[in-house]
Amino acid sequence: MSDRGNKGPCGPQKHVNRRGFLTTISTSAAAAVVVGAATPVAAEAAPRDATEPTPIVLYVNGRKYRLAVEPRETLISVLRERLGLTGSKPGCERGECGACTVLLDGSTRYSCMTLAVEAQDHIITTIEGLANGEELSDVQQAFIHEDGYQCGFCTPGQVMAAEGLLRKNPKPSIDEVRLGMSGNLCRCGAYGHIFKAVQQAASTRQSGGAK
Amino acid sequence: MLPTFTYVKPTTLEHAVRELATPGARACSGGTDLLGCLRDRVLKADKLVSLNGLAELRGISELPNGGLRIGALSTLSEIASHTLITTRYHALSAAAGAAASPQLRNQGTIGGNLCQRPRCWYYRGDFPCARKGGDTCFAKEGENQLHAIFGGDVCVMVHPSDTAPALTALDASVRLVGPRGSRTVALDAFFVLPSKDYTRETVVEPDELVADIVLPPPPAAALSTYRKLRSRGAWDFALTGAAVALGMHGKKVERARIVLSGVAPVPWRVELAERELVGHELSEALIERVAQRASEHASPLSANAYKVALVRGAVAEALSELRAKG
Amino acid sequence: MREPNIYGSDTLDAELAPQFAPATSDLPPWGKTTVVGAAVPRIDGHDRVGGTAIYTRDIALPGMLHCAIVHSPHAHAMVKRIDTTAAKAMPGVHAIITCDSPEAKIPWILTNQGAFSQLLDPHCRYEGEEVAAIAAETPLQAADAARMIVVEYDVLPMVVNYEVATKPDAPKLHAVGNQPSPARTSQRGDVEAAFAKADAVVERTFHTSCEMHVPLEVHGSVAQWDSGKLEVWDSTQGVYAVRDSLALALKLPLSSVRVSSHFMGGGFGGKLELGKYTVFAAVLARMTGRAVKCVLTREDTLRSVGNRPANTISIKAAARKDGTLLALDATLLGASGAYPTGATSSYMLLDLYTCANVRAVESSVLINAGQARAFRAPGYPQAAWALEQVMDELAGKLGMDPVEFRLKNIPVVSQLRSGQPYTSTGLADCLRDGAEKFGWAAARKRPANKGHVKRGIGIAAGMWGSPGGPTATVILKLYADGSANVNSGAADIGTGTKTIFAQVVAEELGVPVERVSVENADTGTTQYAPSSGGSQTVLVTTPAVRSAAADVKTPLLALAAEELKIDVDKLTIRDGNIEIAGDTKKVPFSALRSLAQRQQLVGVGRRAPHPVGKVGLPFAAHFAEVEVNTRTGEVRVVRYVAAQDSGRVMNALTFENQVLGGVTMGIGFGLTEQRVLDRQTGKLASGSWHDYKIPTAMDFPVDFQCVPIDLQDKECNSVGAKGLGEPATIPAAAAIANAVCNAIGARIYDAPITPASIVNALASKGGK
Repeated sequence: MSDRGNKGPCGPQKHVNRRGFLTTISTSAAAAVVVGAATPVAAEAAPRDATEPTPIVLYVNGRKYRLAVEPRETLISVLRERLGLTGSKPGCERGECGACTVLLDGSTRYSCMTLAVEAQDHIITTIEGLANGEELSDVQQAFIHEDGYQCGFCTPGQVMAAEGLLRKNPKPSIDEVRLGMSGNLCRCGAYGHIFKAVQQAASTRQSGGAK
Repeated sequence: MLPTFTYVKPTTLEHAVRELATPGARACSGGTDLLGCLRDRVLKADKLVSLNGLAELRGISELPNGGLRIGALSTLSEIASHTLITTRYHALSAAAGAAASPQLRNQGTIGGNLCQRPRCWYYRGDFPCARKGGDTCFAKEGENQLHAIFGGDVCVMVHPSDTAPALTALDASVRLVGPRGSRTVALDAFFVLPSKDYTRETVVEPDELVADIVLPPPPAAALSTYRKLRSRGAWDFALTGAAVALGMHGKKVERARIVLSGVAPVPWRVELAERELVGHELSEALIERVAQRASEHASPLSANAYKVALVRGAVAEALSELRAKG
Repeated sequence: MREPNIYGSDTLDAELAPQFAPATSDLPPWGKTTVVGAAVPRIDGHDRVGGTAIYTRDIALPGMLHCAIVHSPHAHAMVKRIDTTAAKAMPGVHAIITCDSPEAKIPWILTNQGAFSQLLDPHCRYEGEEVAAIAAETPLQAADAARMIVVEYDVLPMVVNYEVATKPDAPKLHAVGNQPSPARTSQRGDVEAAFAKADAVVERTFHTSCEMHVPLEVHGSVAQWDSGKLEVWDSTQGVYAVRDSLALALKLPLSSVRVSSHFMGGGFGGKLELGKYTVFAAVLARMTGRAVKCVLTREDTLRSVGNRPANTISIKAAARKDGTLLALDATLLGASGAYPTGATSSYMLLDLYTCANVRAVESSVLINAGQARAFRAPGYPQAAWALEQVMDELAGKLGMDPVEFRLKNIPVVSQLRSGQPYTSTGLADCLRDGAEKFGWAAARKRPANKGHVKRGIGIAAGMWGSPGGPTATVILKLYADGSANVNSGAADIGTGTKTIFAQVVAEELGVPVERVSVENADTGTTQYAPSSGGSQTVLVTTPAVRSAAADVKTPLLALAAEELKIDVDKLTIRDGNIEIAGDTKKVPFSALRSLAQRQQLVGVGRRAPHPVGKVGLPFAAHFAEVEVNTRTGEVRVVRYVAAQDSGRVMNALTFENQVLGGVTMGIGFGLTEQRVLDRQTGKLASGSWHDYKIPTAMDFPVDFQCVPIDLQDKECNSVGAKGLGEPATIPAAAAIANAVCNAIGARIYDAPITPASIVNALASKGGK
């Protein structure tokens, strides 16, 4: 738990995002079809031809999606524009900020520098996949408790980086936290609080807390 | 936004080589460098040949002679934390761990790291520079604070890799596979100076790919490290770096390699400084002398003379670290 | 000429403009608070960490088209011809506007000398200036088609060095020349006479580099038309400011334009204005009858949406032996970019310390680069960089401790505001408390370490010269179940505004924070508030929230008195209950039948005007410890104490967060950030986050302490809070510079301090 004293009268709140209607996926792009829970199968070796959309299968947050993408489409754009998963944020689209961080087979990865065709056959976890319904993960709760954000735009990436770090190193020292979080820029400069959030999540997890 | 290209993911080396031989094809493994170059229209690709289906390019394993084979698809994260590397080839794990960011290290491969393109802002930016087929090197008369103090010619870019100087210092070689079979090239001969050919950075032909990297068995009482200097605390290319590998006999240096990053278009080996070390004990005075020697014969541009001091600093820091260890 | 940017040199004039007075008089100050000031986690935290917060970038409307922009690749050029034939034939393309389109003529950069440009200007004055915009079905199609637009240019001579741009033979950006405004002089006393009496004089010239805002969310908008009305989602700090400019640009009544920005991913001053991208989205949406999204690329944001302008500041300063600051004589030159804007601020030079004789001459000059914009305390970090280093040098010459020297010169009145007293001034407290927490005195006595890694300590102070304004209106609804809703047009740009609003309601009405909802930043549904910039949101809008709560209390007590048949004077409101004097019985709001019958009570709050004849401004003193590796030029900030007088701490969590964020930004300004323009072409060299280096997690010191002074300011406004966002960043870079000087014994006058500047400074020191 936090070493901070008074957290005030309010804990993390749960509520359904009230502006969800703004992220309607346009009909032309709604090519994604969910076909159930998923385990990856071995890759096909057949050469993929052309600028024509290529059929692919993505395993995201425990669901399997079949869709057709151009080879040049990045994972971030497919997650956001095809699957409506706008939690991962494009901050630079050139692998220089970390806001788009997702887990690929449990390892942190920039989804803006990953082609969707290359993300096949991997288990993808996005920020939307961390919470259990409305129940936030330990890392997410720690970010709220320690105020590990300001504007919040880099936050999904920070949370995923923290999750990836704790999976590799459940008991990071403060220097390991800093290094582990060094691939995620925060222009608001909330690093000091982000470190506390990661440390708090680590201790929650150590003590057998949530997830 | 990326330009259009086709995509193929072969599962055999033979197939991959065949695909690479088609016009406009480029090999792609981690993609962290290539996709940026495509986005910025620095490079063109009609077809991306993904190497990620090639199981034979993976893995890190000890060789019968006590050396090490590192598959080209090994990620920088794997290399930074692999026990055989952290214990025997510390310079390499230190260099891999100092590169880029945690995410990029999870994604970027050692093969790609060696073959990455220059990070010069004129090369990456919208400037028709010599290396991109233009007729001038903008850095010479322009903003050259990050550029070369050694080995510049038509182009004064610096080689951006951290692992390359470490591998060079460790006497590594690279196995290339192409339609004409495979060949092994010492790291020392892998990179190409602009005076020889300013349109390429390595000897890798367009239809070849890096299959693996071979490290010789470390000399007895080996010590090595990589010291990187940069503008911010992480996620930054080297302003200057020094990879140092020593073989010790008692207190004396028996074998020495010093290879610099961030100061030349190729990993820059400073043999004069190496020679200064051999046969002597690592004393503070010797370290100062070697650091000084490493920085000699530099040809700074208008805004990068400070790198001469940084070379001295990086070499001295690296040697001091090894002295403390040894 | 009056320059259009109110945050530059004109800050004082802008806020001294008459403000309309609200009807209500102000509330008495709070005593001890329970919810306000506590470490309350944000009320929208779930959305922020869950990925469910919808930013402008995330909006997708049915049938929405995507916009791509074509930019000038030249720093200075005239468009000769644009050919859109090939682009029009590309798949998915719906509409294109270019410099030749009628829409291109919308006036841009409005000043009292007229418009300096237009929406799509064939005369391109910097690399990245927009020449065409295109709407297509998908982002990829729009980008592909934009690349097919062929533009021919006449390339013109350019100038990007701002000191060169002042020369008579420099290439001209506008017919009026590169300095459309005359130099501006502020002075008091007799500077020359004071120098003649001085015991110590220091004269130095400083340079600061151009710094980019680069918030994580790039600038962008979504626009759609509905029955002649325009609806816009914009990543902005000020929905009302954007609405006003957009209505003016499109010649629409204010009532026909709705702008909202519920979650926005950072601004730092770079999102206070209407962007061209917003107008492109609106115009293309009108042409196509579809919603249109226009978001910039990261590369665009490094060129075209503002920056903290580079400054050259020369200061000559004098003091007496006893530590009295006698005179400050400064000249400031700032680079406006391609269009006029105030690019310097002398405010802090003239008012941070008591000094009878001052003079500041300020000028700005145009160069072929993106226009400067307000950036977190515009002009102040640059001024602090110069002033606070000169103060250190003066202290050194006098043989005084730099903290003591500053304490000798603490003002109790604002000299710039005709001697108006401050409602509170915590500058001395910041210096004393900060020094104590830092262990300043002990650290000063520490012997210099022997090795090549040198430690040094430094201090710098700062202030922010704007008390904010004008006023704001807030509506508060108390519902039958005792929960409440706050309605304000203020944007929460990451500072925690919404949460602080909820805390104020909780404090006043005793409604728990989690029972308060906040609607904000929507000109269609929320009440006017000034833009969230200039550290003014808390001090301008929360008093209005408090006033709205008070406005609910009166009718609520009247209802209760009638229903309970008790004299209203015997009733008080506490913790969501009506309490009766001399009775232990408590009646929850939700138990009031009369409230249930009405469903809600509505309170309207306005902020009272600033106190007459007094001014409330925030102060800060920062203490830094650095390690400098003299072999390698590496500088690490290893320890930091930031003491802030911002009046009342509204939320302990978000307060500390603002401060460490401000310091992080100062670390960037002082050590890593530098826009680099190629001198040969005027094009941006540092065009990505690899080459424009903002601080990473590794650059922030773990050993960080925020010291809130938490003064009781009973006069500045009804909540007692002063601004925080700007003063948290103002002194940071200067404190680091002083620490570096302390470490290596050589002073570095140019920001940022890089390994290059360290080794160069050591070399010239050694050479002396």
